[in-house]
Amino acid sequence: MFSFTKEQKIIDISGIRLGGQPGVNPTVLFGGFFFKENPDFNNAKKQLEEMYKLSKKTGNSAIPDFFIKKDEFMVEIIDFIAENVPKNYPFSIDIIDPKLKIEILKILNDKKLLARTIYNSIHVGITDEEQESLEKYTPEAVILVAFNPKDQSPDGKIEVLENGANLTSKGLLEIAKDIGIKKILVDTAAMAPGDNSGAAIASIPVIKEEYGLPTGCAIHNVVEKSKWLHEFEIARKSVDASSNVNIPLFGGDFAIFGPVENINLVFPIIAWQDILISEYTENYFGIEPADFHPRRKLF
Amino acid sequence: MENEYYPWGGEFTTCNRKGCVAVVILNMDYTPCKDVAIYGPLKTENIGIEKIVANIISNPHIRYLVVCGNEIRGHRSGSSLLALNKNGIDKQHRIIDAPGAIPYIENIDEEAIERFRSQIEIVNLIDVTDKKQIDKKINECLHKSIPVFGESYIAIRITPQVASLDDKRALHSKIVIDYLGKVKKRG
Repeated sequence: MFSFTKEQKIIDISGIRLGGQPGVNPTVLFGGFFFKENPDFNNAKKQLEEMYKLSKKTGNSAIPDFFIKKDEFMVEIIDFIAENVPKNYPFSIDIIDPKLKIEILKILNDKKLLARTIYNSIHVGITDEEQESLEKYTPEAVILVAFNPKDQSPDGKIEVLENGANLTSKGLLEIAKDIGIKKILVDTAAMAPGDNSGAAIASIPVIKEEYGLPTGCAIHNVVEKSKWLHEFEIARKSVDASSNVNIPLFGGDFAIFGPVENINLVFPIIAWQDILISEYTENYFGIEPADFHPRRKLF
Repeated sequence: MENEYYPWGGEFTTCNRKGCVAVVILNMDYTPCKDVAIYGPLKTENIGIEKIVANIISNPHIRYLVVCGNEIRGHRSGSSLLALNKNGIDKQHRIIDAPGAIPYIENIDEEAIERFRSQIEIVNLIDVTDKKQIDKKINECLHKSIPVFGESYIAIRITPQVASLDDKRALHSKIVIDYLGKVKKRG
């Protein structure tokens, strides 16, 4: 449980507060929609409602993260967002294909949704076309993924943020600032087991102390890639959900926790962890939890 | 001995060490016959491809690389692997004309890549999911008479790093953490 000497930036995205000293704001939870197969919008609507209920109960803010993998579903998914994510609530869009990213930015602009969009993500694979598109259609916030294919250590991740590690002409932070993005989150890029997976967690306090930016990661990806866990069917889901406690424990601000199906496990686990951290950080560092912190809500 | 041939661990399965075929399985469930040298999934267009290159050139018996299954959307890892074999990398280590999102080869050098390109003939079965069709192609390759490609080439060997006991770092060399948990930038 940590406190940082570097001033920590708290960003507000449509009323959701991200970042700060550990123990102030509860961990923000990004729940993933539409990872597998074709989108089931009826089910997604119910899961979205359930996620907001859990968020209200625990105090941990919820942000739906929409994975868009095929252009054939992009309009339907964005229509779903416009109709079902409550007005003024933020959401993030998770797209791998650079061409699809560009098309979706335009649609989000046409639908007047950019002010609520968290763009997931900018990384070293950013193309000139994507950058131009982001300049034209600038989202409210961006997640910078500190993935360095050459060096997965905390130093490698800092190198990518700082100077692009010779993969981009400048660092990801500068790229984001040049585009005009004011609200920046850093994802420490969780790698598969065998590829320094633990560095995603160890990098959190390093990056927070270096830049003071809201930092987190999708540590559940490591669990998903731990094939041996498939033999332990009952434990696997618990490990997947509980892996996220590492993020607040190491001072992180948000967890991209994977499939939204895990909400009933993830929200109480993280609320419990946030309470644990808050009790220490208030005791030793005088950090008071926010009014909506789980410690204020759950006894 | 197995590790001598495959220096970069991963999700792969090894079979006949003298087999001339390696199989990369994209988005599908498939188990090839036990006569192939090695098979496994490919997810990412960077480290995933690097592992394949390193683990193929280390076994000079492998001469054919069958790439099958549905392409990984966004990552386009299969097509990026084909692009590496066809075009190599540019000065920034980006695979030339690769369609993937982050197609960088950073952990193995150009000589290793050139060795891969010379050693391997790729059998492009991207988006083919008919197992009989894939089996047939693999069998065709297995029955070709093709010589061993010289000596084993070790491009990289991934070994666990052991921190020295006199290392005073707490978590990381850039920060210092006191006993209460206060994090400070070092220096």
